[in-house]
Amino acid sequence: MNDLTEYVTLISSDDFSYVVLRSTACISPIIRRMLDPSNGFMEASTNTVHFDNINGIVLEKVCEYFYYNEKNKDAKDVADPDFPTELCLELLMAADYLDV
Amino acid sequence: MSGRRGGNTIRGPRSALTDFLAANNISAQQIRDDYQRRRQEGEEDAGEGASAQAPQQDDDEALAVAAQAEEDEKQTKKRKRNEKDAIDKIKKAKASKGGKGKKKAKRGDPDLDDDDGEEYEDEFNKKARPAPGQFEHCEVCSKRFTVTPYSKEGSDGGLLCTPCGKEFTKDLKKEQKAAQKQPVSRKRRKMESEKLDGVAAGGAKSLVQLCINRIAQHHDDVEELGDLPENLLDRLSAIFSKKRVMKSKTLPLFLRPDLDAVIVHDAAYLEEEDYQQIFAVCPNMRKLALSNTCQFKDASVDYMLERCHNLQHIQLYAANLVTEEMWHRLFQEAGSKLHTIKLKWLDAAFEDDVVAEMAECCPDLERLKLKLCRRLGEPAVEHIATMKNLKHLSLQIGNSVSNDTLIDLVTKRGSKLSTLSLDKFIDADNEVLQAIHDNCKRLSKLRFSENDTVSDAGFAALFTNWSNPPLTFVDVNSTRDVDNNNPTGPEEVIGVGSSGFKALMAHSGPALKHLDVASCRFIELSAFIDVFNGAQTYPALEYINISFCNKVDTSVTAGIFKSCPSLKQLVAFGCFDVQDVVVPRSIALIGVPRAQDAIEQFGVGIGVEEAIGRMVEKANITAH
Repeated sequence: MNDLTEYVTLISSDDFSYVVLRSTACISPIIRRMLDPSNGFMEASTNTVHFDNINGIVLEKVCEYFYYNEKNKDAKDVADPDFPTELCLELLMAADYLDV
Repeated sequence: MSGRRGGNTIRGPRSALTDFLAANNISAQQIRDDYQRRRQEGEEDAGEGASAQAPQQDDDEALAVAAQAEEDEKQTKKRKRNEKDAIDKIKKAKASKGGKGKKKAKRGDPDLDDDDGEEYEDEFNKKARPAPGQFEHCEVCSKRFTVTPYSKEGSDGGLLCTPCGKEFTKDLKKEQKAAQKQPVSRKRRKMESEKLDGVAAGGAKSLVQLCINRIAQHHDDVEELGDLPENLLDRLSAIFSKKRVMKSKTLPLFLRPDLDAVIVHDAAYLEEEDYQQIFAVCPNMRKLALSNTCQFKDASVDYMLERCHNLQHIQLYAANLVTEEMWHRLFQEAGSKLHTIKLKWLDAAFEDDVVAEMAECCPDLERLKLKLCRRLGEPAVEHIATMKNLKHLSLQIGNSVSNDTLIDLVTKRGSKLSTLSLDKFIDADNEVLQAIHDNCKRLSKLRFSENDTVSDAGFAALFTNWSNPPLTFVDVNSTRDVDNNNPTGPEEVIGVGSSGFKALMAHSGPALKHLDVASCRFIELSAFIDVFNGAQTYPALEYINISFCNKVDTSVTAGIFKSCPSLKQLVAFGCFDVQDVVVPRSIALIGVPRAQDAIEQFGVGIGVEEAIGRMVEKANITAH
């Protein structure tokens, strides 16, 4: 399992790609399963995940959240991150899908 | 002040200041001319709302002094450049003090570009405020209005008419409020509350939770929730109820014709038309759950029966305006399809007869919960004993129910039950437990709480050699003897004691997820230590409530952390011997008294081993 790359690519429905740390992306159990080589998905071999139901703007916020979550993993009294209210519902759908 | 005039023709008496100004090449005449020109421009612009009112004060010398000050300032530009950044920041902070008017005024005088110059002009502009009684154009809506001493100044320096002014101050106050930091104590309370809700558990909150909170915060602006899945809709409905914003205006967000369920956790604000709307929009729903539904009346039930023919699950809490006849009708007409009935807090109506009707009309009833229904008594329990398909049964009946009736109920229905909840049957005795032992073979959830009759031996007998598989949910809170004159309790231990607790954990330990032994005050310390000894693990256990088990001490909590790898919440109100706990990551310890900063109740980035190590360290230090 040593050949796991440090970074993985997440691609939105409108073809924006985000290169993020594998550890942060794997905060989402869904992405973790997709990228786990033992499950044998195509995502695992290409280290790339396509999201057909998440657009670029939302995926960007999701990636920001991944890093925020990683950063505050062991912290307490964490200040809530800010995101535009108008994205709220789409972000909620995406978050629910990604289970984060 | 570059204007150097060939012939300065000022005549007449000259003050020392005028001399000084002349010597320094400052011309009062020019300043005045510029000022006149600016004022004219300003008046032309007034229609646009930019208030370029220049000072009405006409004193050349005063103006000249200002100009001189600027001149001096100019020489120290270097210093100012450093300051400029700082000033800019301050300016941004109080953006309400405006800029446009200033800039316009400046245009006529290219040299006036110093910061201090601007400040002076600020002063001028303030003085230029039209006197009360004059007409002015509002900065926002451009309407003409009469200036009063109370007219507000807008963000661009102009005046605002009364309605705009009100809006403006409202916004301003809102901003200030948002900028204010919450006091530390409130923050801490909020954190504790979130912990109790299970929302926060150290680290970052989940993104779903953050979004849900944000939506609840902006509930007024949400027009439609779109195709949210039902589980999210339910969580949103919960938080809307918690924030008490589930009203006529927000209710439609949760109504979609394709939905299977309508769940409103706090329907107190909903009125007859809202209920009509629910049934009109969602005639196909299978599940209806309305809590605090205090304005749910006969007419609404009538309309529901007319519209909704697929109802399988009815949950109505506090529906006290529904009459006796209507309850009968409800079960007669909709009973045949019902699988689940949950009713709570019914005082005004709902007699034993209705339960009889229910038993008769609802042959497929699998799940029944009747709690705090004041008019129900022993006959109701007898009727429930005839419901053949019951799998989940929760009862809390205020009137006394004899043990024979309870035993009869358990004997008849026990074999199929997977949930049995007998809350506050204070007089139920060992024989009832024996009946559970003998008849229940497939229970997974058992609640037997608030009782002071069953003995420790009774509980031990229940859990010993019980052919029922391990339970996942056990709640035996408040089973204990309460007698002020005899605080140590009678000779024979009443309620779950040491042997009962050990038997319980030995039987259900492997599958147990939720354990509540709150107020079982006769469980000895040794029993806790034996059960949570660190070697024996309880892999599924996520929630433990040991509140008011006063024997529990710090070593028990350490043992619990070690023995329960999946633990999420440990509730320990009133455990005074729990001190100096170091809580491992991902566990929330709730309610420990004397929880000041010394006791960190949140797992912060340390594992179980390390937490216990630290606790041992602390204990050693105190021992020395």
